[in-house]
Amino acid sequence: MTKAAKTTSWVFQIIAVIIMGQTLAFKFSGHPTTLAIFEEINMPYGHIIIGVLELAACILLLMPQSIVYGATLGAGLMTGAIIGHITELGWEGERGQLGLLAIATLVSCNIVLFIRRKDIPLIKGILSESNLPKD
Amino acid sequence: MKSKISIDLHKLSRFVNLFLPILAIIFFLAGLKLSFYYHFLTVSFLFATALNVFYLYLQNGHALLRNFGLLAQGRYMLESVGPELRQYLYASDTEEKPFNRLERAEVYRKSQNIDSASSFGSLHTFDATELKIRHSLFPTPTSELTPYSLTFGEERGIENTHTIRKPYIISAMSYGALGKNAVRALARGAKLADITMNTGEGGYPKYHLMEGCDLIFQLGTAKFGVRNKDGTLNEEKLKEIADKPTIKMIEIKLSQGAKPGKGGLLPKEKISDEIAELRGVSKEHDVVSPAFHSECKDYTSLTQFIKRVQNIANIPVGIKLCIGDLAQFENMIQEFKKQDIFPDWITIDGSEGGTGAAPRAFIDRVGMPLLPALKGANDALNEAGVRNRLKLLASGKLIGPGRQMLAFCLGADAICSARGFMLSLGCIQAIQCGSNACPVGITTHDPKLEHGLDISIKAARVRNYVNNLKHDIDELVAATGCQSINDLSFKHLYVPADSSISPHVPNN
Repeated sequence: MTKAAKTTSWVFQIIAVIIMGQTLAFKFSGHPTTLAIFEEINMPYGHIIIGVLELAACILLLMPQSIVYGATLGAGLMTGAIIGHITELGWEGERGQLGLLAIATLVSCNIVLFIRRKDIPLIKGILSESNLPKD
Repeated sequence: MKSKISIDLHKLSRFVNLFLPILAIIFFLAGLKLSFYYHFLTVSFLFATALNVFYLYLQNGHALLRNFGLLAQGRYMLESVGPELRQYLYASDTEEKPFNRLERAEVYRKSQNIDSASSFGSLHTFDATELKIRHSLFPTPTSELTPYSLTFGEERGIENTHTIRKPYIISAMSYGALGKNAVRALARGAKLADITMNTGEGGYPKYHLMEGCDLIFQLGTAKFGVRNKDGTLNEEKLKEIADKPTIKMIEIKLSQGAKPGKGGLLPKEKISDEIAELRGVSKEHDVVSPAFHSECKDYTSLTQFIKRVQNIANIPVGIKLCIGDLAQFENMIQEFKKQDIFPDWITIDGSEGGTGAAPRAFIDRVGMPLLPALKGANDALNEAGVRNRLKLLASGKLIGPGRQMLAFCLGADAICSARGFMLSLGCIQAIQCGSNACPVGITTHDPKLEHGLDISIKAARVRNYVNNLKHDIDELVAATGCQSINDLSFKHLYVPADSSISPHVPNN
């Protein structure tokens, strides 16, 4: 990996960590808005469960050995969040902002995964140059 | 014949490929109608579908994944744990190569000072086709055995001869092939056991020198540590090393049993900054030594090169080779005789010898196996009437006393072993020597893996291994009715007619 790619990856890792991290305080303290959202999609204790998973993703994203695992977990959680917005929560007002942040995090995690694709289990073995289609 | 309930893996994989996206949709609907928690499964199956699409349509390096998708990963996953499963569970005690569990267990027991008596009977296939040692009707009492002693260099009458009191030498392993902890544990163990250790061809033996044991400096074909820029011998540097008090002898490596006809090989994964500096090489490429010494182009120049090294270093100088053609070996001996120049010893390395890295075909198919090569060499020296001008050492899977006795009977004066001593350090035969991933920290420079190898505990194991080998050899020599290893000869072997060392089978 070139130095530029490494730096880019770290920038997007930090972005994802900041976006997910700043919502943790609301989730763990049981902020009324957060509770309302999770009540609306009928997820009892959802704020704690999702909070713990997001915390894990943040930690994994910051440890050099586990970045791709953190990015995968982050991408999965954000996909779930976006499904929530599409199906039940909608995009009105503050909801729209939250939905856009989820999309931003998903994109960041995917960029990290793309840059570090050679570290991803189940994929790294087949990503040597000679194995990809040539036009 | 196919049974009616057999699973058709082709159909199963098509079924899986179809149902991954369908399941994602089903769980999405469940998430919509039943509980949002179902979306955990929706997301998982979406990701699995994406991965499957990549396998099926976006890569073409792996036909199996391209044809069958995610399910085919099962094959690669199971295959990747195959070596471990076989070693842990399925391989029988006498099955594994190069050393089976029985052979390894004997070394482990000897190095941990555990009694190695076995019960019930031999686990070998037992018939008349194996080499056996002939015991005597009248064994020697062990108290009457002559103590072992072998003095290198006495034939030339040089001042700085080197005497060994136990018939064991730790064979050539460089810092580079081994990590620093392993080198130091072996060197400290050699010191404790009072045996001599070979430095290997890997340049200035910094870590070998640390523990103060007797050393043989190995002069490899690339002449690491004593080379000029053009790869020829730098006499001052060699003199400097030979003058060190613990460097007792010098071995010129002509070839190695695991890769005869090819030079040493150190994969780039294992080249640290320090190794690059000690050898004077780049970190970016595998280090490949030349196949021969540039000074040695024929019998005459080879003999002259031995003389040259003997003149530079005022200590015993020997050669190590794996024999390809016994006729060439005989010609070499004739040239030694003609010029009246002899190395102080010859190490015969069998083609079954070990290595950190070599091409498969060289490991498997090149060179003569130790026993016929050793017998042929000993016979050639005797026929030329010069057996008393030098010592003969043997190496090649000589890790236990039984096989070592065979080598002694075929003419060896002492035994060199590398893997035997690696096993005494705790080698588990993971066969990762070339990848810098040795799980027990022996053939790696990864500090996290080297951490597991405690120098002082492993050094004591090396000492125990040597002492217990010596004990067994003494008992075996006594059983043959001989006074010492020197008295052992071919007639102490039971040799079946179809053996490669049978007198009825031509050696070449």
